[in-house]
Amino acid sequence: MKLRRQNQLLAEPPSSATGDIAFNLIVFFLVCASVQPDSGRSQSLPNSESTKQQETKNKNIEVQLTRTAVLLNGDQVNIEDFSKKIRSLLSRKVKAEDRIVVVKSKPETPYHHWIAITTAIEDAGGTVTLQIEEERTVNIPN
Amino acid sequence: MKIKRRTSRATVPSMAMGDIAFNLLIFFVILARAQDDSHLEWNPATAANIESTRPATVSVLVDTENKLYLNGQQIGVASLKDAIQNQLGDRPAGQRIVLLKVHRETLAQRFEPIIEAIGEAGGDLVHVVEEQRP
Repeated sequence: MKLRRQNQLLAEPPSSATGDIAFNLIVFFLVCASVQPDSGRSQSLPNSESTKQQETKNKNIEVQLTRTAVLLNGDQVNIEDFSKKIRSLLSRKVKAEDRIVVVKSKPETPYHHWIAITTAIEDAGGTVTLQIEEERTVNIPN
Repeated sequence: MKIKRRTSRATVPSMAMGDIAFNLLIFFVILARAQDDSHLEWNPATAANIESTRPATVSVLVDTENKLYLNGQQIGVASLKDAIQNQLGDRPAGQRIVLLKVHRETLAQRFEPIIEAIGEAGGDLVHVVEEQRP
């Protein structure tokens, strides 16, 4: 005759704790999602003194930005062709100080357009320098 | 005849200690991050060849309403340079990273003075953008 063992232990997690466990898991994954590192592009800008010196030499490449267009040394170029043209211009420059590209933006230039062009300049080996028009107050005599 | 008063002992269940500790940990993590700018609304621009940024203590953000924030606190452009200098202190080069998060439709008249202020404060500028997808 076979005797069955009667002391079978049944270890069940308490069902009242499942709510707590679910809550903790949600909070854990929320915090994990919020601490994801940002991704981006670093940009080194030469200081304003050196920029002024470069301006006086007047031999740097100049890029002008408007709301939708881009001008390279005064000539309008397609945004698609800009990368090739800036790369070919910069390939002739050997010295680091000659590879400075002066970027002038119209006030209505959007950031996404600006970042696309400055990214293309840096990828071509150029160093972006901003030329910002200073606000001037003009007093008109009566 | 003396009748003894019944005493009831209420103990904290030791099983819950782990849960309590974990919840406290999460609470302080969230509290520490309460000063960041994750609650602000902005749409990043896209760019190619982006890389993961190193941890930074200074974050400058321009949101969809064109408002400027430094580490989640609203600030004006005029006081941005000094505020960044205070935050960066005497940190050596390489540890002076300033994250710049600009809403993609923000105009140059708004973001260029901000870039200038970061440069003048001696920050290492990093534009926070999204990877451009083909």
